[in-house]
Amino acid sequence: MVDIRLNATINGRKVSRDAKPHLRLLDFLRDDLNLTGNKEGCGAGECGTCSVFVDGMLVKSCLMPVAKAQGATVDTIESLAKSGELSVLQKAFHKAGASQCGYCIPGMVMAATAALRANPFADREEIKERLGGNICRCTGYQKIFDAVELARDVQNGRLPATALLETDTADGDVIGKSVRRIDAPSKVSGRLKYAGDMIMPGMLHVQVLRSPHAHARIVSIDTSAALAMEGVESVITSADVPGKDGFGVFVHDQPVMAHDKVRYVGEAVAAVAAEDALTAKRAVAAIKVVYEQLTPVFDPDVAMREGAAVVHDYAPDNITKHIPIRVGDVEAGFAESDLVIEENYSTQAIEHAYLEPEAGLAYVDHDDVVTVVSPSQNITHHRHMLARIIAKPISKVRFVMSPVGGGFGGKEDMIYQGMLALLAMKTMRPVRLVYTREESIISTAKRHPSRTNLRMGVMHDGRIKALAMRMVCDGGAYGLSTEGVMRKAAILAAGPYSIPNVRIDTYGIYTNNTPSGAFRSFGALQTQFATESHLDIIAERLGLDPFEIRRINAMRDGATTHTKQTLGSVSLMRALEAAEQASGWEAGAPAVRGETRGDLGHDDVRPSVTLGTRFAAGDTQEAAE
Amino acid sequence: MARKRGRGMAACWYGIARTATIDRAAAWAEIDDGGSAKIVTGVTEIGEGILTVLAQIAAHEIGVKPEHVVIGDNDTARAPEAAHAGASRQTYMIGNVVALASREARKRLVGVMAEMWDVAAETIRTGNGEIWAENTNHRITMGEAVACAKNRGVVPVGSATFGTDTTGIQDGKGGDGSGRPWQAYVFGCQVAEVEVDTVTGEVQVLAVWAAHDVGRAVNPQGVEGQIEGGIVQAIGQGLMEDYQLKDGHTSTSGFAKYILPTSLDVPRVNSIIIEDPDPIGPLGVKGIGEPAMVPTIPAVMNAIYDAVGVRVFDLPATPEKILLAMREKARREAAMAMQAAE
Repeated sequence: MVDIRLNATINGRKVSRDAKPHLRLLDFLRDDLNLTGNKEGCGAGECGTCSVFVDGMLVKSCLMPVAKAQGATVDTIESLAKSGELSVLQKAFHKAGASQCGYCIPGMVMAATAALRANPFADREEIKERLGGNICRCTGYQKIFDAVELARDVQNGRLPATALLETDTADGDVIGKSVRRIDAPSKVSGRLKYAGDMIMPGMLHVQVLRSPHAHARIVSIDTSAALAMEGVESVITSADVPGKDGFGVFVHDQPVMAHDKVRYVGEAVAAVAAEDALTAKRAVAAIKVVYEQLTPVFDPDVAMREGAAVVHDYAPDNITKHIPIRVGDVEAGFAESDLVIEENYSTQAIEHAYLEPEAGLAYVDHDDVVTVVSPSQNITHHRHMLARIIAKPISKVRFVMSPVGGGFGGKEDMIYQGMLALLAMKTMRPVRLVYTREESIISTAKRHPSRTNLRMGVMHDGRIKALAMRMVCDGGAYGLSTEGVMRKAAILAAGPYSIPNVRIDTYGIYTNNTPSGAFRSFGALQTQFATESHLDIIAERLGLDPFEIRRINAMRDGATTHTKQTLGSVSLMRALEAAEQASGWEAGAPAVRGETRGDLGHDDVRPSVTLGTRFAAGDTQEAAE
Repeated sequence: MARKRGRGMAACWYGIARTATIDRAAAWAEIDDGGSAKIVTGVTEIGEGILTVLAQIAAHEIGVKPEHVVIGDNDTARAPEAAHAGASRQTYMIGNVVALASREARKRLVGVMAEMWDVAAETIRTGNGEIWAENTNHRITMGEAVACAKNRGVVPVGSATFGTDTTGIQDGKGGDGSGRPWQAYVFGCQVAEVEVDTVTGEVQVLAVWAAHDVGRAVNPQGVEGQIEGGIVQAIGQGLMEDYQLKDGHTSTSGFAKYILPTSLDVPRVNSIIIEDPDPIGPLGVKGIGEPAMVPTIPAVMNAIYDAVGVRVFDLPATPEKILLAMREKARREAAMAMQAAE
């Protein structure tokens, strides 16, 4: 295809240059002009991280072909703090603590700027609606709303400009003060370079061939056609691993690329390094893999049965990890109980959805040190594992952490760094890999889906006599953090309650599903969801207030845990009292009393959303003040 | 009323730092020219604000302003190990070790000044970029003090390591799980207020009151940020997010199909920070990243039950599930009323 000549005004400067016609405006800005402040989060117009102004309108630049920008005035995040001085809104983001990982923030700042331009007097609810097209995974949005309200009030003169400044720490004691984040200016201005924003001279681009099958033997891989393509520098498969292949947080059962067989859809099978990403993609399509289908297993309960398909030879029962906890005699406890309640609970797999998809660079430096730059949550462990995989001493392996655009546990796994290192070693050139959102979702870990059976025996006065829990989790195709998740889930399963008889079993099971791994709250979320739901069911049956039943059983100072550890100070009673008081909780058994309770709708409750009514009323611009 | 409100609560507990294994972290500190502080440690800022927390801790321990603290990037060839970002461990493990390393660097500088001023080291104070000896006229800037030290051939540096006194748990065959998995525990409690649309089944979480013990809040705004973000992630899992697979293939491979909480889905979060100091570490800090998420889902499910009398046992509590459960409940109640009438 013939290049187009693009003439536009970008961040106040005339730009006239050739561009590939298939590019999106986002690619042109980021790759051709190196304006990397605005990010790509989803490539589908859903997340808003790529938001820029085109002729003053807020536009998702991943949805706009570059040719549509012909003659337009385009402003990116870089235009807002051109000389280094942050805009009022950017300062307000800094002051309010509105940025965490920062990856969504350039787009969020653009959307918030547009919101206050559209209505300088927008109230909090209108601000929320105007930011509805921008996803943030870290902050919970509250501090972002605070920031926009602060900027609005400073712009309108309701607050002095000093409201944007640092809280005074002149008395010298800085612990306990809400000191502004030291990394916020780089994030609100888009200056911080994440791995996908970084370029190195002579850099090659990496693309990955992924398995279309959940469980299949690899009969052959033919890379000759891909290697023969112009611009392709290297193609690697499992056969190119020089050392002992295998990574994982607990058990090293996952090869850098599938070895002999694939175990889930999306598993890496081969990788290409080429002069540009498009060539690498075409080369990936030219790799021929012959598979022989194997029987897959998708349900962890089925996988535990005799005769089920085996995912890993080392674990013929498909059990990645079983964790038992035993206290007292649980059956005797049930026999003693006045009331025994049993229920089943289940939780689904969820995606970390950090706004920054996986990305990384690798190169071999002047001292032959294989160096990987990536947003990893655990570079120390990655270095260990990679050294073994590439058969180099630790001193010749170096991991550098690039800014992490959200992790939540999902970036603990060394899921792509091995491929980068191998390609850098093969080509002796810098290589870079940037996942698409779809690649990130299909190939990286999820939160363990769980099925839990819970039985609790209680006395009429609310004392818990016995608790038995069995949880089966789908760990997917590889071990990753499953062992640790099962352990933490089990240790914390019975909640912060003194219970004389406890039996807990958590099982992490191999299947041919997307692997499950570390995810913020690491198993404790699944088990405590069951336990805390169960306590309310029991409280209703016993006519007890939910705070009361928890107080009756609460661990106190010096309590013994279910792993028989003696605790020191236990702050549970303080937490219960604080939440009860702050919420103005009206005591009573949890017996569907929503309609009669008197503690609803306090000042510290937000109004319910009535989306669209404002716009339906035509009340969009210049609200009266 | 088409929309019904209700409230629910739940409590939680959580262990801080790596589970059932010995955790460790190291840091180097230097009081640098001009009186700034340089901290090098394998810390991983993943958005939680740990760099700011460490800057505050180093500033507090050394006696400089937080903006005069420089923190080296995490690099296995340039920084000592501080292990991973996870397990709600960074403020606890790395915060404590930065405090210890900073104290050592400060001690070195104080030693030089005590000798120079001929005063007891214990009488020397630092703060806000200055160093002085109590009950004397000796008071200079930290920058001047660093120059003094260097003129005497001393670079004021310190290093430290911090490890936990923990054990594995007995989880082998026939084990009872006993052990000392953590040395610091936190506890929390949340109350949720919801509104359920009985026509559409949609649930809005209008408010959450979240009381969490963090040991000691180094940066209260940062603690709130962790609580607010954790609660919203939990609401995502509780009400809408669902990674779906059929025969190993996902049907939710993009954000158009994989639904995440947006600005219109989030409650007003009212955070209550409880400080029950950790007696083991030098700072009293604990952690908040993960525990903030734990009570939210059951609190919301308990609140939905309070509002409309249906309980969701299998997450997420989508509008479809709520409607179905409400219809079943109505049918059950009608059948019981019929039975009672007969």
